[in-house]
Amino acid sequence: MNRLFKTFGPGPRLAVPIMLFLLGGFAAPLLAVIAYSFVPARTFSLWQKWSLGNYVEIFQSSIYISFLWSLGLAVATVVILAIVCYPVAFGLTRVFGRWATLITLLFALPLFVSENVRIYGWILFFIKNGVLLGSLKSLFGFELESIVFTTGLTLLGMVYVYLPFMLFPMTLGVSMVPQQTRDAAFDLGASRWQVFKEVDLPLSMPGVVIGFLLTFVLAVGALAEAKVLGGQRVIPITHDIEIAFTYAQNWPLGAAVSVLLMLVVGTLVLLVLRRFDLDTIVGRR
Amino acid sequence: MANCSKVSRRNFMQQSALWAAAFAGGGALVPGVASAARDKELNILCWEGYNSAQVLDPFRSSTGATVKAESLTNDPTMINRLRAGETNIWDLINVNNPWARKIMYPENLIKPIDRARFEPYFGKMMPAFNAPYKWAMDDAGANLLGMAQRFGPYSFVVNTDKISRATAEDQGWDLWNDAANDKKYGVQNSDDWNVFDLCCIAGFDPFREHTEEDVAKYTDAAKRVFKGARMVGDLATMNQALVSGEIDFYLTGGTYSCSPARADGNLNIRAITPLRGPMEGGKGGISWIEITSVVNNPDLSTHAENFLEYVQSPEMSHTVAFAEGTFNPVTQMGNADCFKLFNKEELDIIQWDSLEEEMARSAEYDIVPDYDKLLDIMTAAKRETSGG
Repeated sequence: MNRLFKTFGPGPRLAVPIMLFLLGGFAAPLLAVIAYSFVPARTFSLWQKWSLGNYVEIFQSSIYISFLWSLGLAVATVVILAIVCYPVAFGLTRVFGRWATLITLLFALPLFVSENVRIYGWILFFIKNGVLLGSLKSLFGFELESIVFTTGLTLLGMVYVYLPFMLFPMTLGVSMVPQQTRDAAFDLGASRWQVFKEVDLPLSMPGVVIGFLLTFVLAVGALAEAKVLGGQRVIPITHDIEIAFTYAQNWPLGAAVSVLLMLVVGTLVLLVLRRFDLDTIVGRR
Repeated sequence: MANCSKVSRRNFMQQSALWAAAFAGGGALVPGVASAARDKELNILCWEGYNSAQVLDPFRSSTGATVKAESLTNDPTMINRLRAGETNIWDLINVNNPWARKIMYPENLIKPIDRARFEPYFGKMMPAFNAPYKWAMDDAGANLLGMAQRFGPYSFVVNTDKISRATAEDQGWDLWNDAANDKKYGVQNSDDWNVFDLCCIAGFDPFREHTEEDVAKYTDAAKRVFKGARMVGDLATMNQALVSGEIDFYLTGGTYSCSPARADGNLNIRAITPLRGPMEGGKGGISWIEITSVVNNPDLSTHAENFLEYVQSPEMSHTVAFAEGTFNPVTQMGNADCFKLFNKEELDIIQWDSLEEEMARSAEYDIVPDYDKLLDIMTAAKRETSGG
């Protein structure tokens, strides 16, 4: 025992509980999903002949359409949120002053309400004869087309739901830019655009990149927005996974699609991290 | 208390680790505790309603047992949870009619119940359910496999302000074959039932073996129906869309799915059973009957059969019919003592006025021989028409 204590320092020893927790709570289920992806379709036991049959089936089917929808919607969400959130983050850090806390609170408050409740609330708001269209009709006589159950509203819903996950890391990033550096740039004759391009954006990149990654990973796994707001006009990959695990009872196929999704997302994230080394941009080395 | 005084930091940690291990092992390390618990608990896997406090609380109070009920909204998932080894967790399973007789009993997932004790209850049910009731019996007709309670027709739902009941019943499944109806309907994400309905729209009986020609027609119908759908969603979304005027009708649906809208005063939202269709005998609709069975649990709760008997009483049958969520007729309405508990409003909600004729026009839910293939085709059709 003493030898063990001498071999491993207090750090590794104290990390044992969390390592066990992660092994049981994260690694084991993940390994189970990977293992299931190799067993024959529509079976439930791991103890049988493994094959790549489920992956072959995926590549021969139209599941790529769902992959493309998920990736496309996630990229669109990230781009829209980047454009929307950067000015807000800048305002929260440099412009709004004592109102910044209140505005931050307003952005954070929706997180305290379940996502499903908020999304169903949107349906009641936007549906034909609902809060918006019904009020316009009865108050002003306008009869407009409803926008529920469309791809556009799915995207809008994703932008709304994931806004805090882009805004808060971005705000942190913008707040890391020293005011003295900006002042120095202005004193040396830089224009506002030059200060933004040469000072603000590069120095706030840690927050921006973390916001991008967080939002992308969450958005690519989004399901409720397409199901409820989009009325399944778009089938994201998570919906295919859900159907495989429920109505189809094809756990191996669902597991194989999940593994592919993890690989695709993991690869994209690694590519971004190769371009932007988080340790470097947060100043650890 | 004496033991408590001897607790040191060291033996506290040892005892904690032991208890944690026992807990993690699901009680396997303390067999005495585990086996004793089975007369103090009951676990039910069911459709919503049986998991409501109105149904469970009186049973909990009278027995002192901890009753846990998990509600799911499709049969295949529940059956496969038993197949995956959860027979040692659940005591009762509540699914639609064919599963007990054709799948669960042959696969040893459920066990027969005491026929002498339960068969008399079938005598108090509506005549169509009198003993021996086919779906509650095994193939040989020797063993009673469960109790029948909630049931109903389940084909499609219309807003009668937009399409009259007579027109909807007359046109039946051809409503989905008429291109003029594109974007006027929704599809409820009840995928197993949607397979049945797509077969009906394609013009053949879902519950028989299918030819290549049938499958081709089905594929075409699936693509057409999903392309023309205004949306696909849960029953709450469907009813909301019907009430608001987003859509005029939806499949799959019936008394079960439209009852919340009718309970909210929207009696123009009505379940429809087509007058004719491709099922045996020219039947146009499909109906379901729930059978609640005792799971083949090696350590079965002593309360399992008692609970089955408890929900047979007129009062509890009425409570089951109108538990939270959706509302349904119950077989026990054949008993005058039970029927008198339903007021006019409740009878309107469950469309009592046409229930008998609709059930007569409906084929009973059965196993689709090539369900896996047809479901995969439907899932692909949904995906391939997405964004359109």
